[in-house]
Amino acid sequence: MKALAIGFKPSDLGEGLAVLNRLAGALGEELEANALIISKEPFKHGGFHKIYHVKTASLYNSIGSIYKVMDDLTVDTVVSPNIKDGVDLLGRVATKIDGYMVTEVSSIEKIDGDVYLARPILGGRATAYYRYTPGTLFTYTVGKFQPIDVAGEPDVIEVTTEPGSYTVVGVEEKKRGAVDIESAEVVVGVGRGFRSKDDIKMASELAELLGGEVGCSRPIAADFGWLDEDRWIGISGKKIRPKLYIPIGISGAPQHIMAANDSKVIVAVNKDKNAPIFNYSDYGVVADLYQFLPVFIKVLRERLVK
Amino acid sequence: MDIAVLVKASLDVNLVRGDAEGRLLKEAIPLAISEYDRNAVYEAVRLRDALGGKVYILSVLTWGPTQRRMRDFENVVREALALGGDEAHVVVDEAAVEAGPKATAYILSKLVDKLGGVGLVLCGEASMDMMASQVSNYLASYLGYNSVTFVRELSIEGGKVRCKRDLENYIEMVETELPAVISVTGEINKPRLPTLLQIRRAFAKPLKTYSLSDIGVSELPKQTPTKYELVKVSRKNIIIEGASMEEIASKLVDKLIEEGVLRR
Repeated sequence: MKALAIGFKPSDLGEGLAVLNRLAGALGEELEANALIISKEPFKHGGFHKIYHVKTASLYNSIGSIYKVMDDLTVDTVVSPNIKDGVDLLGRVATKIDGYMVTEVSSIEKIDGDVYLARPILGGRATAYYRYTPGTLFTYTVGKFQPIDVAGEPDVIEVTTEPGSYTVVGVEEKKRGAVDIESAEVVVGVGRGFRSKDDIKMASELAELLGGEVGCSRPIAADFGWLDEDRWIGISGKKIRPKLYIPIGISGAPQHIMAANDSKVIVAVNKDKNAPIFNYSDYGVVADLYQFLPVFIKVLRERLVK
Repeated sequence: MDIAVLVKASLDVNLVRGDAEGRLLKEAIPLAISEYDRNAVYEAVRLRDALGGKVYILSVLTWGPTQRRMRDFENVVREALALGGDEAHVVVDEAAVEAGPKATAYILSKLVDKLGGVGLVLCGEASMDMMASQVSNYLASYLGYNSVTFVRELSIEGGKVRCKRDLENYIEMVETELPAVISVTGEINKPRLPTLLQIRRAFAKPLKTYSLSDIGVSELPKQTPTKYELVKVSRKNIIIEGASMEEIASKLVDKLIEEGVLRR
């Protein structure tokens, strides 16, 4: 099979290659993997037949270019990391080629000789299986496929951008502190149980003690603006997969749970014993965070020093 | 300018049902309005109040059996009307059940044609149950309208729509000509709950139901999952109790050490 992986940052190429490798393996076919990089700067990666590069930070400006690349290559499928840029891009390609798309594939399974793309639905409570046929494009969940890093430096083919049916009048980089909660090993989640911005210091102290980062629920970032949006855990925010997630004062809306459910161990702190978050937790503490957190930090500090 | 808003009667993700064998009991899960569609209705109402025209609520019932779902489905549509929609046009047909985003977009395109076209179509960035984020791009393509996704701010001036759209690392400011299909994120506004009076009025608003043949649809580009599985919740669900905060904290630390998740 001949395929194209879209990459917005260097790690996308290793993951895209892993996804295509898994798919070709399940189909029992030889793989010819190609890549299209959408980024200000190109990056190199082995394992690809051809690597194309569109020099742009704007998603929209890249859309015309992908059609050019697809005219150059006749591919069976196109895959992209499941971020908004990728979902929109593949959605447009699917309409253009009158094909089908599957959003957010988290595993590729071979069952009774057929190959299926599996994806989470219903806020992560269920899995839906779609039979793969050539011409089906899909986005894959970041972090679910072990990246393949191969040495080698294929030549990068520059593709020019083409304007489309709308005009980009400006691009602004999102406001962010240098934080990456998506790859943090420990995340402490801040929810509406916190009464003021100042109180978030307690969560920061805990996170620092555990070598982790502070994340938050939607209202903290989107409504109150107490933390930047790059700390917002949710399906419209960031998806996390730490070893330990500690949601504090977070009731557990489905959008939040879905984005945190890949955490290895979840420890919830909430004063409402009926909060849904406890159903999705390994350990729960039913307590007022203002009483529990200072004690927890103190005990943890003593035990970690020992 | 008339605006169509796509509203989905989503399976309620808070009330997912399954059996002991891990089967998903889809038919036992009630329907609820898909959250971001409420933002879309609210935005449409804001634009209508400024620019005039009508707000059409459009929906396709995609969960069956349709007969048993009718009351739930009507409640969802009435909620959208209570939020300020003027009239509703909905498609109920067993063939549309679980037909997938492309088929749903195709049906909606025929419904928009039936209304004689609109200036703008708004919808939520994704449905709560399936989260595919595909309908708006397909619909725009079927209608020949422009498409902008993930919009968190929009304004209309002189036949053009200006949007702030939310991408992974950037906010894009874009401009496109109407007619357009635009998907909105939850940040675009904060819908107020409808008042009792608005709810009562919603029941007097026109709601027209169509079958696929009524709108001239015979074949559908279907993409239906071959199976569904319940995800086993493998969490331990242990509540840590103790006589004092110190005791609880200490027990919790023991557990975290046991789990091997503490940096030592």
